[in-house]
Amino acid sequence: MSDLSPVVLVIDDEPQIRRFLRAGFDLEHFTVLEEETGEAGLRTATLRPLDLIVLDLNLPDMDGASIVERLRAWSTVPIIVLSVRASDADKVRLLESGADDYVVKPFSMAELLARARTALRRQARGAQGEPVVRLGSLTIDLAARAVFVESSRVVLSPKEYRLLQVLAQHAGNVVTHNILLREVWGARHMHNSHYLRILVRKLRGKIEQNPKQPRILVSELGVGYRLASDSEAR
Amino acid sequence: MRLVWGSNSLFGAAGTRTIGVLFALLLVAVVTVLLAAASALFPIEHVTIVYLIPVILAALRWGAVPALFAGISGIAFPAFFFYAPLYDFRVQSPAQVADIVLFVAVAAITGRMAVTVRHARMRAQAESLRDALIGSVSHELRTPLAAIVGSTSVLAQSPIVERDEHLSSLVRVVRKEAERLNGDIQNLLDATRISSEGIRPHLAWVDPEDVVSGALARKRHLLVDREVMLAVADDLPLIYVDPSLVESALGQLIENAAKYSPSQASMSVIARHSGKSIDIEVVDQGEGLAGDEVERVFDRFYRSPRHAGAVSGSGLGLWIARALIQASGGTIRAFSAGPGHGARFSITLPVDTQPASEDDADE
Repeated sequence: MSDLSPVVLVIDDEPQIRRFLRAGFDLEHFTVLEEETGEAGLRTATLRPLDLIVLDLNLPDMDGASIVERLRAWSTVPIIVLSVRASDADKVRLLESGADDYVVKPFSMAELLARARTALRRQARGAQGEPVVRLGSLTIDLAARAVFVESSRVVLSPKEYRLLQVLAQHAGNVVTHNILLREVWGARHMHNSHYLRILVRKLRGKIEQNPKQPRILVSELGVGYRLASDSEAR
Repeated sequence: MRLVWGSNSLFGAAGTRTIGVLFALLLVAVVTVLLAAASALFPIEHVTIVYLIPVILAALRWGAVPALFAGISGIAFPAFFFYAPLYDFRVQSPAQVADIVLFVAVAAITGRMAVTVRHARMRAQAESLRDALIGSVSHELRTPLAAIVGSTSVLAQSPIVERDEHLSSLVRVVRKEAERLNGDIQNLLDATRISSEGIRPHLAWVDPEDVVSGALARKRHLLVDREVMLAVADDLPLIYVDPSLVESALGQLIENAAKYSPSQASMSVIARHSGKSIDIEVVDQGEGLAGDEVERVFDRFYRSPRHAGAVSGSGLGLWIARALIQASGGTIRAFSAGPGHGARFSITLPVDTQPASEDDADE
């Protein structure tokens, strides 16, 4: 994997979509590979070292979620899914089968690039074991289990911290309600979605400048929560 | 997609009817031949009931007129062939007269029922055809739109365009109009969903604050120059609704307020708790509503004559908002002090008994 120019594989059967994705990624100095079908995409993913996969949900030969599942059997490369119409249930299913993020068509290149950079940064941080996440005025030191707002330490309850930790590990990308419930309360409490709403409200009260207009802990209604990227949180 | 047309649409309605009449008469003839063959083997007295079969079949398949012909011939044929005097339309036996009267009554009732069934079936076919068309057209429009929005967003970022004020303003126009088109397509899809399948809400506990901030975030591009005052009460109870539906409905109200008020005028979004319900309100300083418009704005395709020409719109937005809120068990209302005095749109959602024990949520 090149440090200078990240490699992105675009799997989409629409040539006009591939064309603007290539142009957009070129402007940001990505190396772009293209495939039209799920089969070809999976093959390329096994042959070439990749930093990112951008996958269209509606390919002619395979269902998007099953491509994600097959990729995840052996690869941790970040996957961003594009879809022209996805219900909340579809989004949840994709994220839980291992996609990192989704973008609904039509979208702007800037939006996709922001998601792509977030995914790449997280991957890099995971690889280097970088323990500190900074989002605007918020700093999360995962190694010391300490959270700071404007350099003053914030005291969180164990569950508040656990919630923030899980979100920070996916910083910038959505984590579904189910995954958060399982990680914070355990599989027994998967149906108690209101626990999560209440805990999020408490946590926002401690880390947001204005908890009613959250900029750090953002809700993706019907799907999950995500920590904003650093640029959004400022 | 399977196209479902009425039978023989090639020949037009009148042609279809003629063919129906011919087939109905043919059916009656077939029944008569079969009865004649049977009567050679054993005596048949009350035969008219059998002639109900052609009437019902004709009504189901070809409609009222062929069914009428089947009914009339269903009286004439047995009178001529089976009732004494044979080969004569006169009928003498009181039993056979009663037979025919009974036949007319039963044929009229079942024939009419069959025609109703046929109409309902045709209407359902036409509706499902229309919905399939709208659904697939919307989907087909979205893909090129995605290419337009994506491509212009790349253009906007390219150094050559960024340097040139004229070019970049053109790119912004393309982008903005494409996004408007996308909004219209979304409305069309929502409207189809509402009228074809009804709405099946996926209920969950939701923080009303998330609904408000989600709707505002989604409509951010319409609110760039505008001051939006947000007044969300502390400690709002959770609501048990489909969050996507309520968010879309609130988004429609915000879009409506932005559309019908000056681009600099401020807007307020208010969320508060009162008794067994919460209210989410959008207050604007726009053109307001006149007379019965507080009711009529929620009608499908209603557009006020005051700005039907000046402001583009489909008349679907508020109708969609109302359908989404009703599906969530809530109500939506409009208030205005009159034209020029702004409007207030209010969503009221029921608050259920709050879910058990917060203590468990964080210990």
